[in-house]
Amino acid sequence: MLLRVEDLNVYYGEAVHALRNVSFEVQEGEILSIIGANGAGKSTLMWTLIGQLKPRSGKITFRGEVMKPVPHAVVSAGMALVPERRRLFPNLTVRENLMMGAYLRGDRGAVQKDLEYIFSLFPILKERLNQYAGTLSGGQQQMVATARGLMSRPKLLLMDEPSLGLAPILVNQIFETIQEISRQGTTILLVEQNAKKSLAIAHRAYVLEVGCIVRTGTGQELLNDPAVQAAYLGVSQHKEVILEGKEPC
Amino acid sequence: MIFQTIITGLSIGSIYALMAVGYSLVFSVLNFSNFAHGAVITLGAYIAWALMVSVFKMSFFPALLLSMLGAGIIAFFVERIAYSTLRHRRAPSLFLMISAMGVAIALQNVLYATVGANLYALPPIFTQDTFSIGAATISRMDIFAFVFSVIAIALLTIVLNYTKVGTAIRAASYDSEMVSVLGVNLDVLVAVLFLLAGSLGGMAGVFMGIKYMVYPSMGWITNKAYIGAVIGGLGSLPGAIVGGILLGLLESLVSVTVIGSVHLSTFRDVFSFGILVLLLVFRPTGLFGRHVEEKL
Ligand SMILES: Nc1ncnc2c1ncn2[C@@H]1O[C@H](COP(=O)(O)OP(=O)(O)O)[C@@H](O)[C@H]1O
Ligand SMILES: [Mg+2]
Repeated sequence: MLLRVEDLNVYYGEAVHALRNVSFEVQEGEILSIIGANGAGKSTLMWTLIGQLKPRSGKITFRGEVMKPVPHAVVSAGMALVPERRRLFPNLTVRENLMMGAYLRGDRGAVQKDLEYIFSLFPILKERLNQYAGTLSGGQQQMVATARGLMSRPKLLLMDEPSLGLAPILVNQIFETIQEISRQGTTILLVEQNAKKSLAIAHRAYVLEVGCIVRTGTGQELLNDPAVQAAYLGVSQHKEVILEGKEPC
Repeated sequence: MIFQTIITGLSIGSIYALMAVGYSLVFSVLNFSNFAHGAVITLGAYIAWALMVSVFKMSFFPALLLSMLGAGIIAFFVERIAYSTLRHRRAPSLFLMISAMGVAIALQNVLYATVGANLYALPPIFTQDTFSIGAATISRMDIFAFVFSVIAIALLTIVLNYTKVGTAIRAASYDSEMVSVLGVNLDVLVAVLFLLAGSLGGMAGVFMGIKYMVYPSMGWITNKAYIGAVIGGLGSLPGAIVGGILLGLLESLVSVTVIGSVHLSTFRDVFSFGILVLLLVFRPTGLFGRHVEEKL
């Protein structure tokens, strides 16, 4: 097991209980999707995994080791986050943004080789290397954010809504890229509101609702689940199944 | 005459710039005005005094380097003691600023209580300080201070632009949380920040000590550097440099201006603080800060 999360509880202050007893696993080599509506707690989960948010209780085990909420320790252990809305450094060039992703690595030669890998995924970035990241289009910024995440050579890449705010054609491209990254050997934990596409590429998936994991299965199983269809895939006839009378966790 | 005034202005302006850069570096990443910077600069000058005059009889260059190092280390400890806990608790920047003021007062009073309120002179670098070009009398020390300030700031720019940690500092000036989740240990980054700011401040302190005197409240001069940083746009490095030098030039021009029978030199500080007030009212982002969030 690459990642095991047990009974995670995360709060903002006292009032907001953003994650409630969340437990799940990520297996080596898979694309694991977690789908959930706006405010379900997807980003909270990502920032907790990377060590920036401290959980009140629960255990995160990554590659056999219990993770402390210390981001640089988590990154050296092999996780990387591609955050929601990309969070590039617009005052840095594309090259500098990528180098920030490789901050903890000393091996310069290998970093150069990784750049070649990045260019094979995103050829356009080769021409943009010396441009300020703030001047790129949204689609190209998402490429840089993804590439920056890959520059630390993560074992597990956390991707938070990579398709958010992109034109439909770019959305298709980004999902294809995710599959390509997966084929190249990086395990992916993908959280998305775009349930249809992310379930379609997922080996396994979970549904997160107001801080609780409420369903799990293979991507295909969840795509065919009437309750999931009703709540997340715009199939209207069964809406009441999941949206009504839900008792969290 | 005007030539002489410009040299003096550039000299004091470049010392302002050295100090202003320290304000801007810290502000760019931590978003607060580090009002303990003046005390660090003062201590830098006292270290030079101890090394060159009172304890050892060191020559200028080793004393300068050690004073810079000492001031950098003091700045580092100030951060550890007075800011780091607040930072970890994500306290509002106002809290950090108040803590900084407390440190400034405390350090200054430690100086009064230990070394005393005496004024001390640092030995001049040049035995014959002035020389003439035509009618103008130029101070070698002024030229020296200008050249070394420029070199120090140039080195800082190189560190910020071409090293890994410098790149991370620029990145953190935009989004320190993101820098942290890319694996950068923010505590180490902030330590580097204060070492850089402190050692440039130490250099400024030594130059001030040679040009004027060493005394506990000499850090007051950093108010001017702060005005320089605000003129350029707080948090902007080019802004701090241009703002500091501009203020030095304007001040020395104002000092030699006579209107009718009024010597404007008496109004020099009124003039500087007037600029600060006007800027804060009409252009709080300064010359270089186009948006508040656009920094370094
Ligand atoms: N910084 C914060 N302070 C307080 N509440 C927050 C904060 N960030 C998120 N929340 C709340 O936590 C819940 C989960 O948010 P989030 O993890 O951003 O959801 P998602 O990414 O699924 O849209 C929401 O109710 C949100 O309002
Ligand atoms: Mg989110």
